[in-house]
Amino acid sequence: MRCHDDPVYREELIRNYLRRSLDAAATEAFESHYLSCDDCFEELRVSGLLMVGLHQSRIELRRVDDVLVLQFAGPAELTRQSFELGELQRAFLQSDSKVLIDLGRVVKIDSAGLGQLISHYSHVVKNQGTLKLLNPNAEVQTLLKLTRIDSVLETYHDERQALDSF
Amino acid sequence: MTLDSSTLERYRLKLRYKVSYHLGSSCPDVDDIVQEAMLRFVHALQSEKIRNPESMAAFLSGICNNVIYEYKRRLHREPLCDQDPSSLEIPAGLGADLVELRQVIGLVMNQLAPREREILRAFFLEERDRSEICRTMGLSVMQFRVVLFRAKEKFREIYRLSLKRNAAKQH
Repeated sequence: MRCHDDPVYREELIRNYLRRSLDAAATEAFESHYLSCDDCFEELRVSGLLMVGLHQSRIELRRVDDVLVLQFAGPAELTRQSFELGELQRAFLQSDSKVLIDLGRVVKIDSAGLGQLISHYSHVVKNQGTLKLLNPNAEVQTLLKLTRIDSVLETYHDERQALDSF
Repeated sequence: MTLDSSTLERYRLKLRYKVSYHLGSSCPDVDDIVQEAMLRFVHALQSEKIRNPESMAAFLSGICNNVIYEYKRRLHREPLCDQDPSSLEIPAGLGADLVELRQVIGLVMNQLAPREREILRAFFLEERDRSEICRTMGLSVMQFRVVLFRAKEKFREIYRLSLKRNAAKQH
């Protein structure tokens, strides 16, 4: 194995193993190798965690006409400690004035998440724009109602309808 | 031929990773399979079946493959549940609860710089070639290497500290 001569090659090997794109022989060779090599096994474990982190954290941004649509790529939590909340903050460092946030994959939200939505709303309003929500699940919808945020942020369950409302 | 207990434990941990990789970490029989493979391996050691110590890991891997294969055949005859090891998941055997791990990973990702995340994402998730990443991000191969390993090192360090902090909080 060239693992120890070329660290980038090792990372590529690990990445391909974790993404299951190695053939059977290469998979077996790498498994036999890491069983005897603590160094490569440690790198494999860290890269595995890193890939999970990268994978679970994605926010998709797309533009439909002049509306910016934000959507979580996988199940997301908008809570104080969650990475998704940070991602949402960062995704918002732009001057878009028409924003639709798809909450369809948001499984949990707390006061920090609600505060973030309101903060985004204020930011957009300052740009003479508006922010609307799409597809909140029942739990999120209840929280929006309880906190009366639903009277400020319009909520839709149909994307076309939401886009047409801007 | 005998092995000390720390070597056997290291093998066990790694086998657990391998088995989870092939069967999915939600497979309820991962530990049983690892146990069976280790048992066969120790028997082979005791009966001097492994002549070349350098091929020990390959021998163990082969034993483990057989046990996984037998398990899959049995499962095929008496299906218990749907196994989907194809998705990217948190590998087993890390000694922590999955929810806690996900939280820690989330915190760690928050602390990486946007450029670091961009490079890691391009490399690990989009499977882009190193030369392509260098071209699109305006990096030399050396710079790419430095950024990649620095980001990974940073991830490793923050991850260790977060796990330690979490463990301390629980005690």
